Amino acid sequence: MTKPSLARLAVFAGLGILVAGTGLLAGGPEKRSADRTGALANDTHAFRESAPAPVFAADPSSSVQDFPGVPYDGTYTFVRIRFNTRGNRGFRRGFGRGGGPGWAHDYPYADDNFIKILDEVTLLGPNTEGTNVLDASDPELHRYPIAYVSEPGEWAPTQAEADNLAAYLRKGGFLILDDFRSDYEWSNVEAIFNVLLPGHRFRVLDVEEPIFSSFFEIETLELPPPTFQQYEPLFLGLHEDDDPEGRLMVIANFNNDIGDYWEYSDLGYVPIDLSNEAYKFGVNYVIYAMNR
Amino acid sequence: MSGVFEFLFKYRPVLYQEGDFTFLSPWPLGTMAIIAAVLAVPAVLTYARARGKSRAADRWVLATLRGAAFILLFFIVMQPGLVLTSVVPQRNFLAVLVDDSRSMTIDDRDGSSRAEKAAGLLDPEGDLVDALNEDFAVRYFRFSSAPARIDGVDALTFDGSNTRIGSALDYARNELQGVPLSGVVVVSDGGDNTDEALSEALLPLRAASVPVFTVGLGDEEMEADVQASRAEVPEQALAGTSMVVTVIVDARGFAGRTVPIVVEDMGRIVATEEVTLPDDGQPLVAPIAITLDTEGARELTFRIPGQPGERVLENNELHAVVQVRNRTEKILYFEGEPRHEVAFMLRAVRHDENLQVVLLQRTAENKFFRRNLDDPLELVQGFPTTREELYRYRALVLGSVEASFFTHDQLDMIADFVSARGGTLLMLGGRRALSEGGYQGTPLEDVLPVVLNEPGSSTPTERLAFVKVAPTPAGANHPATRIEGTVEQSAARWDSLPPVTTTNVVTGLKPGATELLEGTVVDGGDGVEPDRVVMAFQGYGKGRSMVLAVQDTWLWQMDHTVPIEDQSHETFWKQLLRWLVSETPDPVEAQPERESVEVGEPVTLEATVLDEGFVEVNGALVTARVTTPTGEARDLPMEWSVTEDGKYAVSFTPDMEGLFEVSVDAGRDTVALGSADTSVRVAPGGEEYRNPHQRRSLMERIADETGGRYYTAETANRLPEDLQFSGGGVTVTEERDLWDMPVLFLLLAGLLGAEWGYRRKRGLA
Repeated sequence: MTKPSLARLAVFAGLGILVAGTGLLAGGPEKRSADRTGALANDTHAFRESAPAPVFAADPSSSVQDFPGVPYDGTYTFVRIRFNTRGNRGFRRGFGRGGGPGWAHDYPYADDNFIKILDEVTLLGPNTEGTNVLDASDPELHRYPIAYVSEPGEWAPTQAEADNLAAYLRKGGFLILDDFRSDYEWSNVEAIFNVLLPGHRFRVLDVEEPIFSSFFEIETLELPPPTFQQYEPLFLGLHEDDDPEGRLMVIANFNNDIGDYWEYSDLGYVPIDLSNEAYKFGVNYVIYAMNR
Repeated sequence: MSGVFEFLFKYRPVLYQEGDFTFLSPWPLGTMAIIAAVLAVPAVLTYARARGKSRAADRWVLATLRGAAFILLFFIVMQPGLVLTSVVPQRNFLAVLVDDSRSMTIDDRDGSSRAEKAAGLLDPEGDLVDALNEDFAVRYFRFSSAPARIDGVDALTFDGSNTRIGSALDYARNELQGVPLSGVVVVSDGGDNTDEALSEALLPLRAASVPVFTVGLGDEEMEADVQASRAEVPEQALAGTSMVVTVIVDARGFAGRTVPIVVEDMGRIVATEEVTLPDDGQPLVAPIAITLDTEGARELTFRIPGQPGERVLENNELHAVVQVRNRTEKILYFEGEPRHEVAFMLRAVRHDENLQVVLLQRTAENKFFRRNLDDPLELVQGFPTTREELYRYRALVLGSVEASFFTHDQLDMIADFVSARGGTLLMLGGRRALSEGGYQGTPLEDVLPVVLNEPGSSTPTERLAFVKVAPTPAGANHPATRIEGTVEQSAARWDSLPPVTTTNVVTGLKPGATELLEGTVVDGGDGVEPDRVVMAFQGYGKGRSMVLAVQDTWLWQMDHTVPIEDQSHETFWKQLLRWLVSETPDPVEAQPERESVEVGEPVTLEATVLDEGFVEVNGALVTARVTTPTGEARDLPMEWSVTEDGKYAVSFTPDMEGLFEVSVDAGRDTVALGSADTSVRVAPGGEEYRNPHQRRSLMERIADETGGRYYTAETANRLPEDLQFSGGGVTVTEERDLWDMPVLFLLLAGLLGAEWGYRRKRGLA
C-alpha cells in the first residue's frame, strides 16, 4: 500500500471532522498515550482504566424508524446492525453523512458503494437491489451471517440484543466493528463481547492473519484513519474457541473508520488509493467469512 | 387313492406313464374288426325287427347298452397290454446321495430328526435297501460342502457346513461315468445354500437320460420360527461413520410380537433395535444405525433372542465383517463463487479427522482460493486437467459453477471420475448449477440423477423458492439423511428445521435414481408448485452421483429457530461427506471369495490392481500377507488370473477359528501401486439353519427336470419299482397284459346288469 502524504492526510482528516460530527459530539476523542500504544501492541487487548460500560440497557421506548430493505433471496446482502446506544440515541431519526446515531454513520452511501465494489471485483453476485438495516435483536439477522456494526463504542445492548447476537456469533455469524476509538469506547466494546462470548479475548491481528489474504494480498495494515488521526489504528479479532489459529468471529477496525472511506469514495473527498485500500479490507472480510 | 387305482387297473399309475399301450392279440386289428362286424349284423337286425310292446326309445337304450358291452368285449378279446422298458436286474448302478449337512440334525414336528429318517430309510437291513439291492449295484455318496464316496449310511456324520446339491450330482455322475447308471437318488432336506447354478448340474444328467429321484425330508413349514435372514453391511467404513445396516428378518407364528435385534461389535453391544414381527411370509426390513469407532476388521453379530416354541435357535443370529479404516479421505470441493454454503460446510466437518475437504473456490474471474491442501502446489493451476490429478480425490463436490467454465475434456474427465474411477460426484444447487448452469447436453447430464429441464428466461430471483425439506421413505433410512438414532427421531429433527431456498427447478428423477430428500414449496417458486427434488442419487458406472439442489443448507445452522446446540447441520454434512467416499474404490482392492468359511475349507483371496489412472495392471508383483488369529503372518504371492485384466488371486486353507487379517501389497518396477486390507472369518457357519424347513419345491424341480420323481419319507418305498421302469442304464422291453384288469370286468358286468335292469323296469324281460 502506498503511504499517503501528510498534506493529503491533513486535508482528509479535516473533511472527516466536518462530516463525522457524531464522533466529536459524543464526548470527544481521547488522546492515546504512548504507554497505551505499547499495551495495544501486545497479543491481547485488555485495558480497563475507563469506566465499565453498561452492558445491558432498558428496552428502547422511542419509536423505531423503518428503513427500506430487501427480502432474503439466498444472495449476499449487506446488513448494518441498528442497536441501542447510551441515552437511547440509537433510535432517533436521521442518519448518514454526519447525521443520526453512530450505528447509522455513513449509511446508506457506504453500504451501497461497498456492494458495487463487491459486485465489480468478485463473483459474489451480491444483492444490488438494496441493503438491510436490522436491529441487533432481530431474528431475521440470522439469515445474514455477515453484519456490519458502526460505532459500537456507543452501544448499550439490551438483553434481547445480547441474546440474539450471542446466538448469532455462536452459530457462525461474523461481525465487522468499525468507526470507534478511544479507551472509553474500547472498554465498552470489550465489556459487551465479554458478555456475548465469555472466555474469548480480542487479539491484535498482524498482516499474516489469513483474513488479510483471503482475496487481496494486503501487504500492510497501516491504513490511516480518515478522521481522528491522533489514534493509532489497529485491527483486532475474536477467534473461535479463543484459538488464535481458529476462525475469526469478529474483526474490529479500532481507531479507524473504513466505512467513512467507502462513503466518500465517490465524492473525491478521500484519496483514491486509501479508498481502494479500505475497500480491500472490506472485500477480504466478506470473502474470508464465506470460506472459513 | 393310489391303492384304488392299482386295484382297478392292476398296476400303479407310474407304469401307465412310463409304458406304451398296445394290443397283444395275434390277430390283426382289421381281421378282428371284420369278424366283429359279421357277428354284429344279426344282432342289429334282430333289434331292428323286434317290436312287441317296446317303444323306439327303449330300443335305443337297450341297443346302446348291448353295443357298449359288445365293444368292451371286443376290446378284451384284442388283449390290451403295456409295453414297458425295465432295467435288467443287477446289470445297472444306482447312486444314492445322502445330505450330510447340519440341517439334517433338525428335529421335525414328529420328534425325530431328518438324519434319523435318512438312516432309517437307508438301513442296510431295511426293506428299501433290500429292494434296491435286488435290482441295482448301489453306490453311496455323502454331500455337504464337498461330496465323497461312502460305504453306507454308517459313515454319515451330519456335520457339514453347507449343502451343495449341484456339485454332489456332478461328483456322482463323474464317479460312475462309464458304468450303466439307472438313476440317482438324492436324500436331503433340499437346503441348498450355495450360489451354484443347479441347472448346470442337471443338464448333463438329462442329456444322459439319468433320472434323479429325490426323497425330501423335514417339515415343509416351521410353525414357530424367528430368523435373521440377511444383513446388508458395507464391506468397509471410515472409523466413526454413522452407517445404517439393514437386517432382514423372517418369522412364522409370531406376528405382532415385539422383539429386539441386538447388534454387537466384537461382543460389545452397539445398538438394540426393537421391531414388531410381521405376518407369516412377510419379510421384515429393519434398518439399524450404528457407528464403528475402532480401526481394523470388526466382526458384527446380529442377534434376536429365542422365542418360546422355537425349534431352531441357530438361525436367530447372523455375522458380518466390516473393515473399519481410520484414514483421511480426500474430497475436492470446487465452488464457482463465494457463498456462505462453503464456510458452513467446512466448519461442519472441521473436527472430522477422517475427512479432508480440499477447497478450490473461484472468487473472481481467473482468481482462485485454495484451502486444506497437502502441498502448496496442489491445484495451483486451478481445476485438475489430468485424470491422475483428479483421481487422487475420492469424491468431487461441484458448487455453483457453470458448465462453460470447464473444457469439454474436463467434463469428460469428471464423467469418467464417476464411471471409471468409481468416485462420487455431488452437485450442489445454485444459480450456476444444474440446468441453470447449462449442463444440458454435456457429458455430466447423463451422470446426474435428475432430469435437467430447460431453465427458461426467468432470473434466479424469480425462480427462488423456499422449500420445506423432508426425507422420503428411502431417505428416512439412508446413512446420509438419517440424522438421528431412530427413523422417528430423524423425521422429527427434519421437521424442526427451517425452510431453505433453491433457484434450481428440479422436479424429475432419472430412472434408477433414488430420491432422499423432497421439498415442499412454501413460498416463491415462479409458479412451479410441485414438490421439488432436493436430494437424489444414482449409481453410474463404477461410481455414484448425487444432487443436492438447494443453496443454503447453512440456514439449518444459522436460522433463529435452530437452537445453538442443535447439531443437525453438522451431522448432515458429516454423514453426507462420509457417504460420498464410503464406496469409492482404491487402486488396489482385495476381498475373499467368501467372507466366512470353516476350518479346513479353502478360501480364495482376490485382488484388483490398478495404476494411478485407474487402468488395470497385469504385470504387478502382488503379495497377500495373511495373519492368523494368533498373530502368525505368512506371505502368499498372488497370481494374475490371465483371463481378466488387473485381477490376481491366491488360495489358502485356514487351520483355526477366528479372524484372519489379510494385507495385500501391489507394486510394479519398484514403484508401489497401493495396498488393501481385508479379512476372512473362520467359524462354524450358521447357513445350514437358515430357512430350516424342507425345500420341497427344489427337490421336485430336480426330479422334474431329469425325468425322476419326488418322494417323501413315507412314499419312498415305491422307489424300487419306479426305478425299474423309469431308470436308464441296461434295459429290456417287457409286455404286460391289461385284458384281465378288474375294471374291464366290472364295466362289462355293469353294462349287462344295466340292460337287464332296464328290461325289468320296462316289463320287457
